[in-house]
Amino acid sequence: MDFTQTKDGPFLVLQVSGRMDTITAPEFEAQCAACLDAGEKRLVVDLSGLDYISSAGLRSILSAAKKLKAQSGDIAFCALSGIVAEVFAVSGFNKLLPVFATRQEALARA
Amino acid sequence: MRRYWTRGLAFRLSALVLTATGIVLVGIVLATYFLAREALLHNVESNARNQAQSLVFRIEAVLAPIPRVAQGVAYELESGSLSDEDIRLRQRRVLADNEAIYGMAVAFEPYARHPEELYYAPYIFRSPLGPKASNLGGTDYRYHGMDWYQIPRELDKIVWSEPYYDEGGGNSLMTTCSVPFHRMEDGQRRVLGVVTADVSLEWLKRLVAGISVLDTGYAYLITRNGTYVTHPAPGVAYHESIFSRAEEKGDLDLRRLGQDMVRGGSKFVPTTSLHTGKPGFLVYAPLPSVGWSLGVFYPRDELLTDVNRLALVSAALGGGGFLALAVLVAFIARGITRPLRRLTTAARAVAGGNLEAPLPQQHGRDEVAELAASFGHMQSSLRDYIRDLTSATASRERMESELRIAHDIQMGILPKIFPPFPDRTEIDLFASLSPAREVGGDFYDFFPCGENQFCFLVGDVSGKGVPAAFYMAVAKTLIKAVAESSRAAAQRSSDSKRDGDPDAQARGMAARRGADPGRILTRASNDLAQDNESCMFVTIFCAVLDMRTGEVRYASAGHNPPVLVRASGAPEYIPTRQEPVAGAMEGVEYTTDTLTLAPGDLMLLYTDGVTEAMNPALELYGEARLLNRAAALAAADTKDLCARLSEDVHAFADGAEQSDDITLLALRFRGPGANAG
Repeated sequence: MDFTQTKDGPFLVLQVSGRMDTITAPEFEAQCAACLDAGEKRLVVDLSGLDYISSAGLRSILSAAKKLKAQSGDIAFCALSGIVAEVFAVSGFNKLLPVFATRQEALARA
Repeated sequence: MRRYWTRGLAFRLSALVLTATGIVLVGIVLATYFLAREALLHNVESNARNQAQSLVFRIEAVLAPIPRVAQGVAYELESGSLSDEDIRLRQRRVLADNEAIYGMAVAFEPYARHPEELYYAPYIFRSPLGPKASNLGGTDYRYHGMDWYQIPRELDKIVWSEPYYDEGGGNSLMTTCSVPFHRMEDGQRRVLGVVTADVSLEWLKRLVAGISVLDTGYAYLITRNGTYVTHPAPGVAYHESIFSRAEEKGDLDLRRLGQDMVRGGSKFVPTTSLHTGKPGFLVYAPLPSVGWSLGVFYPRDELLTDVNRLALVSAALGGGGFLALAVLVAFIARGITRPLRRLTTAARAVAGGNLEAPLPQQHGRDEVAELAASFGHMQSSLRDYIRDLTSATASRERMESELRIAHDIQMGILPKIFPPFPDRTEIDLFASLSPAREVGGDFYDFFPCGENQFCFLVGDVSGKGVPAAFYMAVAKTLIKAVAESSRAAAQRSSDSKRDGDPDAQARGMAARRGADPGRILTRASNDLAQDNESCMFVTIFCAVLDMRTGEVRYASAGHNPPVLVRASGAPEYIPTRQEPVAGAMEGVEYTTDTLTLAPGDLMLLYTDGVTEAMNPALELYGEARLLNRAAALAAADTKDLCARLSEDVHAFADGAEQSDDITLLALRFRGPGANAG
């Protein structure tokens, strides 16, 4: 998986592309941990480049979200597409975590 | 050639060394032979000349004094002081002093000695009885005209005659040396007569014939005219000359040779022998005193005999040496490859499974020793590896056997008795689960939760294997516990506060309705979400059927929508609210929905192992196919349906590895039975 970080106002935008499966999922957790260590507590994860996600990926996302929450941070997801959007819908992750259609919408929240 | 490469190292080493050595030896022998031959032929000339010269000296030693002796007598006659008697005496003395002289004559010119005597020639010769005196000359012996007299007289010089056979002299070959003597007459020197010395040539013939020249070589003597004095071939001497022989055989070379010999030449020439026909070398030298020529023929092949013998000896030595070398090289090569062969044997032993096989001890630090050392490292690495592998295999087998036991335990906690309640005919239920690995995360459950309430559910834990199995056991047990405790609580409250209170009435109604799937899921999710470090979660579809009315209350936590096959009507999917998976986060609330089953209607619960089963072409089984198949099999009883559906999924997979657990739960509502209240 590839990650690109951009600072936008109070948020750190993390662009994710590739596949999130059992092997690559820990990379996402590590990235979020690194952001936390760097003091970034408000993350916006752009998943437009993500082609595939498995249950291991969902677990990593959940784990990252819980860690941020424990540190009084928050995380939002945006630009889901294709199978990733479907998985989020069926698993109800849409309702567990803040998910937005576009990056702008994600950045617009307070 | 191919055989060369298939033979061993020792053989190849030996073969190469011996071939090289063989070539070198052969080269040396050949070179030595040729060099020796050249050296020999080089020496032949000087040796031959020497031999010829020594022969010449020997012959000269005998012949050279003879003219001097005759000359001495001639001088004495010239001084005029010898009487007839003196002459006889002188002749006697000459014979006594010179063994070589056979006879001596002193022949005078006509009437020169005694005026009345035409012929006066006192002669002495060796008879068998001793020296005998006689007189030559007479009508039957007119010596003045004979060669031995006339030629020296005319030429006035010492002349050696051509050889002749003397009947008087015992039929032996003779030659005569004639020396003229003179007197002064009218101031001029005139020939007075001729002194002759007869020399037998038998000794000479014997000498020359007796010269052994190698094996078939020979010597011969020719006179001033080329006449053979001696010749190895019988009958040639005296009767033939070198020129007549050359003429006869048409041998121009021989004629030229003869001419040069007669001229007094001394040469060493290659030529072919007329006598033996063999090629060789001829050396010839003149006999100065007598004007004859000596020739000695050396056959070439016999000259080279020594060289050839030398070559044979050196070849034999070389051959013997080569054989000895061959044996030695073979030994050495085998000695060198012995450590290799030992190593090979040890290697075979190791390859055969004996990792403790001892490797041959290596001396020194050559390549073979290094190979052996490497091999030893490999052997100990193998030992370590196999030891590790064995222990890993042992622990894996332990784990596998533990997993098998875990599988049995896990399968054991799922209800497997069908029909669950034989006396309740309202329902026809069957469930099956085929895990992808020994243990997995899928589960189903069903149990009564009230007098006429029947709870049934299906769940799928995120992930696979042992972690999912743990979570599955916890989730299944928890859900049942929650379901039973909430039903019990509701029952208690409905029992204790039945009348008057609308809340109580509502609670009582709720109690009579039994457990509520939405509330069950809410509580279960919260319990699971607590202390959920691993962030695992589970999807669940939970339903409660009222067996009197056919009403089904249900809730879904992120699970696949079940199939509903109505007895009359098309099959369809039951829509869900897509509420979140259970156990992910605390505080999630689940909503209960309701539908009613008519008798004969069928509900089919499943996990995504069915719809996401993949075949080798990477196609998914899919929701559409499941719907179709369920509809097609709707008429069958639930056990049959589950079996055939399961078969269908496996057939679809077509040998591709099963990646997820396949769970099916089919429930048909038969309608309220005899127990309906």
